[in-house]
Amino acid sequence: MLGFLTARQAGLDDPLRLRRAESTRRVLNLKLNPDRDVDRIHGNGINSIDIETIEGRYMLSGGADGVIVIYDLENYSGKPQYTCKAVCTVGRSNRHVHKFSVETVLWYPYDTGMFVSSSFDKTMKVWDTETLKPAEVFEFESNIYNHHLSPIARKHSLIAVGTKNPKIQLCDLKSGSKIHVLQGHKAEVLSVRWSPRYEHILATASADSKVKVWDVRRASGSLFSLDQDNGDKSKSSSEAVNTAHNGRVNGLSFTSDGLFLLTTGTDDRMRLWNSATGENTLVNYGKVCNESRKGLQFTVSQGCSPEFVFVPCGSSVAVYVLHTGELVTMLRGHYNNVDCCKFHPDHQELYSGGKDGNILAWVPVLRASDMEEESDQKNKGSQGSLKGFFSHLY
Amino acid sequence: MNRKRALVSDTFKVKKRKTGSEKFGVVDDHGDGQGDIKSTIMDLMTLFPRKLFNDAVPQIVLKHQLYSIHDKTMVDKEVNKLRESGSLLMFQLGFDAEAFGLVFASDYKAKVLAGEEGKVTRATVEKFLEKVVSKCTDLSFSKDKMLREFLFTDSEITQLVKSGVLTVRDAGSWWLSIPNTGKFIKYFIQGRKAVLGMVKKSKYGEVLKDDLEQRRTTSHVKFHIKYHISDIVGAELVESVPTTSGTLLRYVDS
Repeated sequence: MLGFLTARQAGLDDPLRLRRAESTRRVLNLKLNPDRDVDRIHGNGINSIDIETIEGRYMLSGGADGVIVIYDLENYSGKPQYTCKAVCTVGRSNRHVHKFSVETVLWYPYDTGMFVSSSFDKTMKVWDTETLKPAEVFEFESNIYNHHLSPIARKHSLIAVGTKNPKIQLCDLKSGSKIHVLQGHKAEVLSVRWSPRYEHILATASADSKVKVWDVRRASGSLFSLDQDNGDKSKSSSEAVNTAHNGRVNGLSFTSDGLFLLTTGTDDRMRLWNSATGENTLVNYGKVCNESRKGLQFTVSQGCSPEFVFVPCGSSVAVYVLHTGELVTMLRGHYNNVDCCKFHPDHQELYSGGKDGNILAWVPVLRASDMEEESDQKNKGSQGSLKGFFSHLY
Repeated sequence: MNRKRALVSDTFKVKKRKTGSEKFGVVDDHGDGQGDIKSTIMDLMTLFPRKLFNDAVPQIVLKHQLYSIHDKTMVDKEVNKLRESGSLLMFQLGFDAEAFGLVFASDYKAKVLAGEEGKVTRATVEKFLEKVVSKCTDLSFSKDKMLREFLFTDSEITQLVKSGVLTVRDAGSWWLSIPNTGKFIKYFIQGRKAVLGMVKKSKYGEVLKDDLEQRRTTSHVKFHIKYHISDIVGAELVESVPTTSGTLLRYVDS
């Protein structure tokens, strides 16, 4: 480690290299920390978690009881023992609370003044964080499984909504209209994701085993559908070709650079696709247990090398290396099925929520300081700068 | 979970290697190249009992048996390379959508032709082997492909099905298959169930791999037990846990 630091100081190494090496070390050391806790507000399972990207400070969670909670993740108490407190809650007593379970919650990508939640009560509500009242309510005809806002959109402010209906609706935040519809799927749409690279590209996953990639500016339909055999018709076990999985596809995630797309399905497989061509990269992750009838929220790390995928697998979270498919470890700690997980890119922490109503924070284990370094008088000057470098991690 | 040895990323690993490796516990096989996959396939093939089938069936190894020894993505890549070069053939065995059998091309051709000695269908089978198997790496063939690309007539296709080289998949499409493998698949499934049962019935549903290899097998298990063990580990029907006394196989309830 000191070798990396001196190389960085002398300019021999790119600054990014040190950052990547340290991020990777931290992700490999994720553990449940007794000092870090998240307030337990939800009485039932937690269906969705989102951490805002502006400051990385506030976390939203949506539960099966319709309750939405906002937590403050920052530790300003000065003590290592810290419980992430709930800042505000849209509880059962709120007039505008969802009637049934909240399936997805998302922060508005540009500031924390607004967040969007969608639920099985067939409504999607755009909330004002200050007053906790919905500024806009979109009504639908069937249960909403998933919605997503584009994190980079400048030219549009569309929310893609996946419902029980095979048509994907695009709701416009600016005008309140929801007339733009994407047709092509044949069964319920379980997951939708905008690409983090191109603001008009949308990927959708459906229970008809297909994943389609759309350009929303195009009127005539999807750009392409992901095919697990890459066009090799002879390999598929039945005549149903052009499917991404052999079962329902219930999880979608782009990598942070938007170049690759990961999909998980109820055939217990996870596949990595090249998002530009739709080609299956054929990385074999083995059996990724998946029994979820609804969507599954999984996440990819950012800023590490190699990148890791965190997938909820039963009651633990499995960590795989993205491009080789190797299982690194299983993070065990939940008492019941894990439904969602979210990676905090600045602190390399993982937050996961499940049916047991707990949100667990997986925090990297800090380096143990050597006894010799502390007592050595001569190196005090350089050690002072070293400690200063790491103090922001506490 | 308290892990005493932390996971270390490659960039932080110490460059110096200790002379003389400790042999107890798990022997790590990662980082092997292509030559090793081919040699693993050949090793696994030696476990296949040829006498049981009176030499009528070529030695078959299942692709997921390789997963238990090497890294999965690498196995997939190397197997595809060998298939492209024409030395290895892959077949859909039919009892499981993900179970693919691997046979060396030379082996396959020899056994099929030996089986066709003195039969009427011999000429068609030879033609099929030359034209199709040598050139095409597909697992299945559809009717128009057979008629148009390879110029086989309907009656020739019937002869191929009769001889066992093609198996019906759907109306108008066929799997490439190995003749006389009915018995193989039957014994394989039987043996797999028996070995899985042995793991399941053990105390706590887990057994050390070395221990399982030493056990006496029932008459249901016709193959070498190592063949079945690599099969159940690779197909993830049991979880393989590294311990200080060797690999532990734990039954997975799914």
